[in-house]
Amino acid sequence: MITSHGLERRKPLGVMIILIILILFTIWTLFPIIWAIITSFKEPGDSYKATFIPFKQFKPTVYAWHDAFVTTRDRTLRSLRNSIIIATFSSAASLMLGAFAGYSLARYQFKKWKNKDIALWILSQRMFPPVAVLIPYFLIMQKLHLLDNVLAVMLDFFADLPKDIEEAALIDGCGHFMAFFRIALPIAAPGLVAVYVLSFIFSWNEFLFVVVFGYQNAMTLPVMIAGSLSTRGLDFWKVASLSILAIIPPVILATILSRYLVRGLTMGAIKE
Amino acid sequence: MPGHLTSRKTVKWGFLIPALGYLALMAILPLVWTLTLSLMKWNANIMPKPVWVGLNNYKYFLFEDPRFWHDLGFTVMYVSLSVSAELVIGLALAWMLSQRFKGKNFFRVVYLIPMACPPIAVAFLWRMMLHPDIGVLNSMLKLIGLNGVKWTTDARIAPFTLIMVDVWEWTPFMFLALLAAFQSLPIELYQAAAVDGANAWQMFVSLTLPLITPVIVTISLIRAIDAFKLFELVFGITGAGPGGATESLSYYTYLIGMKWFKLGRGSAISWLFVIVLLILAMILISRFKKQRT
Repeated sequence: MITSHGLERRKPLGVMIILIILILFTIWTLFPIIWAIITSFKEPGDSYKATFIPFKQFKPTVYAWHDAFVTTRDRTLRSLRNSIIIATFSSAASLMLGAFAGYSLARYQFKKWKNKDIALWILSQRMFPPVAVLIPYFLIMQKLHLLDNVLAVMLDFFADLPKDIEEAALIDGCGHFMAFFRIALPIAAPGLVAVYVLSFIFSWNEFLFVVVFGYQNAMTLPVMIAGSLSTRGLDFWKVASLSILAIIPPVILATILSRYLVRGLTMGAIKE
Repeated sequence: MPGHLTSRKTVKWGFLIPALGYLALMAILPLVWTLTLSLMKWNANIMPKPVWVGLNNYKYFLFEDPRFWHDLGFTVMYVSLSVSAELVIGLALAWMLSQRFKGKNFFRVVYLIPMACPPIAVAFLWRMMLHPDIGVLNSMLKLIGLNGVKWTTDARIAPFTLIMVDVWEWTPFMFLALLAAFQSLPIELYQAAAVDGANAWQMFVSLTLPLITPVIVTISLIRAIDAFKLFELVFGITGAGPGGATESLSYYTYLIGMKWFKLGRGSAISWLFVIVLLILAMILISRFKKQRT
């Protein structure tokens, strides 16, 4: 058996070594997540101890989850709601703009500007440091009294748009489409769903814009995690439960989308 | 909107312009505005109006402010070390897994978890685990009789702690991208090489490596551009400490503009930042251009 890196049939020892290395790397990758799950089911006092096995080493409790969904219910639900609203609508809007532009670039020839140059120009925006536009955004929002407003935070997220345009433009076979709504959209649907979900993950995970422009009313889950750093120090149980809450949606979506994730992150350069 | 009712030109431009217009409004316009502001002095806390100062702000960062150079140096070191480590580990793992292997899909799903997580959640989970006294990492080290490590409290160690977390978060990306590249390699070449009696290492060095070098360069550039914007890990894990040892360019820019409200200086450093990234971006874009002709 010759494989893509040219090894003849592996010796059992070689397979064992590879397996052990892979298992070690898997433990390293999963450890922080598993530790967070364990910690989120501990009493505050236990959460600072290196104990792993419930019932045997520590008494499991829903203290952290009770705190998140009962004691500080309003804060948690507001952040959760904001996260969902912002990610849902900002991705929808950028998908719409992106799908139109992608279709136009794939279907028509732009002689003077060249399609490829337009696409690359759009793509180049993805590389800008977001921190470089904070000051003008801040000044505009202050003028319009939009600071700490969910709508305003949503507008910022459209800055994530370029990736989606590029993705939409890359959907295979775009050039053969005859009519946008009747034919192109249905055919491109799987690609568009992938783009939407990717965009949703990026908006959901955004931190910088929200922490600057949406500290209170427009707070999202990621910003709420940062809030578990109190003057007394870091509440481990709180960090753990809130992080798990913020991690679950993007991880589930990424799992469903695993075939597109790398392609999305490499701006279409690598296809899986 | 049936196609035959609208003219070709309307669809062509009508579909493209909203996106271009939006980008111009949200990216180009702010950048031009920032450029103007960068020539002003405007400490918004105490000054109602900006005052023209010419190139003073740029002069300040380039010639008078050691903090700017330190942060640039730290960011460059952070980017080079994390990207190299991620590349080497990712390459090794992808090479191992490109073998026919049961459970490949399992690994594929496990390894996408770190990069799908919100970076700030990653930062705070690690901050909790890295706590010098009660963090789980030091507790486990002490359990096996070793001394705890001052992960975030020693200025010589803290930069490497951040690099370690970046490696945790992004090695899977390198790995998955390289795995995809490995699987697109032409198998005939390897069969021919095997007939000629080449061993696995020779094949890797003389066949695989040259074939995937373009992919390696592209994904390293993409990672470098993203790593350059390092913000969340600094914000969440070290808070730029100890003593500013782990302050990244993004973090300093954020402090100047959004904490101290020095809008002129903040705009100048924003533009310096844009220029640095532009150089990296141009290299990447010229690669994309070649790739798509």
